[in-house]
Amino acid sequence: MDLYIAAFGFGLVSLSVIAIAAVGFTMQFGITNVINLAYSSVMISSVYVAYAFNHAGVSIWLALIAGAIFGAVFSFLLNRVLYTPFQRKGTSLLGMVIVSLATSLMIQNVLLAIAGPYNVSYVQPSGGTIRLGAIVLTVVQVLVIGIAVVLMLAIHALLTFTRLGKAMRATAANPTLARNCGIPTGRVIDVVWLITGALCGIAGVVAGMNSDTFAVGNGPGYLITIIAAAVLGGAGQPYGAMLGAVLIGEMTELSAAAISADYKEVVAFAVLVLVMVLRPQGLLAKRGALAAAG
Amino acid sequence: MNYYVETILVYAGVDIIACLALNLQFGVSGIVNFSFIVFQAAGAYTAAVLSMPPDTASGMSFQHYVLGLQLPFPIPWLGGALVGGLLAIPVGVLLLRRLRSDYQAIALLVLSVIVNTVITNYRPLFNGAAGLSVIPPPLSERIDPYTATYQYLYVGITFVCCLLVLFVANRIVNSPYGRTLRAMREHELAASALGKNLVALKMTVFVVGGIIAGLSGAILVGFISYWAPITWLYPETIVLFAAIIVGGRGNNLGAILGGLLVPLGFEEITRFIPTGFGPPGLGPAIQWVAIGLLIIGFLWFRPKGVLPEPRRVFNEAGIEESPFMEVRAS
Repeated sequence: MDLYIAAFGFGLVSLSVIAIAAVGFTMQFGITNVINLAYSSVMISSVYVAYAFNHAGVSIWLALIAGAIFGAVFSFLLNRVLYTPFQRKGTSLLGMVIVSLATSLMIQNVLLAIAGPYNVSYVQPSGGTIRLGAIVLTVVQVLVIGIAVVLMLAIHALLTFTRLGKAMRATAANPTLARNCGIPTGRVIDVVWLITGALCGIAGVVAGMNSDTFAVGNGPGYLITIIAAAVLGGAGQPYGAMLGAVLIGEMTELSAAAISADYKEVVAFAVLVLVMVLRPQGLLAKRGALAAAG
Repeated sequence: MNYYVETILVYAGVDIIACLALNLQFGVSGIVNFSFIVFQAAGAYTAAVLSMPPDTASGMSFQHYVLGLQLPFPIPWLGGALVGGLLAIPVGVLLLRRLRSDYQAIALLVLSVIVNTVITNYRPLFNGAAGLSVIPPPLSERIDPYTATYQYLYVGITFVCCLLVLFVANRIVNSPYGRTLRAMREHELAASALGKNLVALKMTVFVVGGIIAGLSGAILVGFISYWAPITWLYPETIVLFAAIIVGGRGNNLGAILGGLLVPLGFEEITRFIPTGFGPPGLGPAIQWVAIGLLIIGFLWFRPKGVLPEPRRVFNEAGIEESPFMEVRAS
């Protein structure tokens, strides 16, 4: 039993990582209508940018900020240079999926050429451990959970209380109508890519901090859990992604304790298929542009 | 040198067969099958374990696998094709029924990654990450596979398979059924409003594509005698997509051209890029960036590919074509 309680504790950490990543991914889809399969490649690139800073002697927390900035700028450029022109050209959703997958491959392989296929890890203070019954977490892991909570509250505040957040929701619901109401949708979308890119970068770096080692090949694995969480909650919906992250994070860790850690992603995939078959619109289904057509 | 030419010819045949199958699914029917390579792999694994001796036989103890039936030549290939088609049924039933097409694409992509992970980690089935090796070439008990005659024979059989697949693909594309598939690709809602059963259409073309993909895997594995998870990672599917986008979506000749230009052309051209400068991963990186740029470049500048799908123009129903009648452009 203690094994499962400990796994539940690890689940709290991994759901925090997944939540940060999945909220960014799902907001990109919901607001800009791009299923950005290059998300995991940007994420793993940010991990390595932070790694470069970290190994140059910068503390891991500053490296985290560097990773976030890199993710933001990179995602912004990706959208400006690639996705927006293709969307303006009238490329179909499927065409965009192919474009983003091709982009993902390019980023990943360039990164592989630069960073090499080796397993590496961050230099970070070991801290100590914090015990709560059978749950044993390192200080870093607790801080990761803290970062996730703060970020989720910030996203909630952004979407609910600010003019920018309202503009984002309006753009997601109906871009043409939003533009006609005087909302500069182009600029809103730019900001969305900056914010989600930063989330993507932060998610990557905290994922790296949470795991003993990481390598360029981890990218596709990230993508599967992110997609599973986003689709489970209802693609395009930030709160859905948070809920999906909680479920996927706990399920993968508990299944790792029950079966084997090798099959974590398989469990995420099984959940994904079940959701797609039984409830393609996700758990939190809403009408409107944010919800996927069933 | 001769061996090199024959290797290239067999690879070309396999790529062409795979491209024709993917063209039926993606080009003609609009199903973005990102797990195409899984069906090829299924065919390859099946053909391998059907032709290999049991893993308890002497000299095979270093690997573990199921079956090991040592069946004579055409059976492993047919088995590979059959399993490719059979595998398409559950996948299609699960993923092609209710989902929106972009969700389907993503689900298939994720499936491709997951199946590879499972096969890599689960050793008893197909020897896990190390993969199967010393797979006996077909007919090797009759003809020595190290002779030139055998190589030519293999190229010949591959060529015959290519022609067969091209014949089938052409028949499908030019039939009323093919027309229905194109209608579905262009406008699902309109096709279903005209009483076309979208699920049945997608399922059949998915299964047919799976059968052909399985056959291509069987041909490949018989030639290279080795098959492991590393040979069918999901990016391999993207190479085939690049081939079809470059060649011309929906056009069988385009698929053949793409199959010759992209998978083959790129691997052979980059072989001649001088190595020894830059980091060790530079060659593959250039290759993948080139594939990505090809896809993006063609989608931007020439979305219809080098050989665009022929526009099928019909004149007024039931009236013989006459030089005085204007053929409608749309």
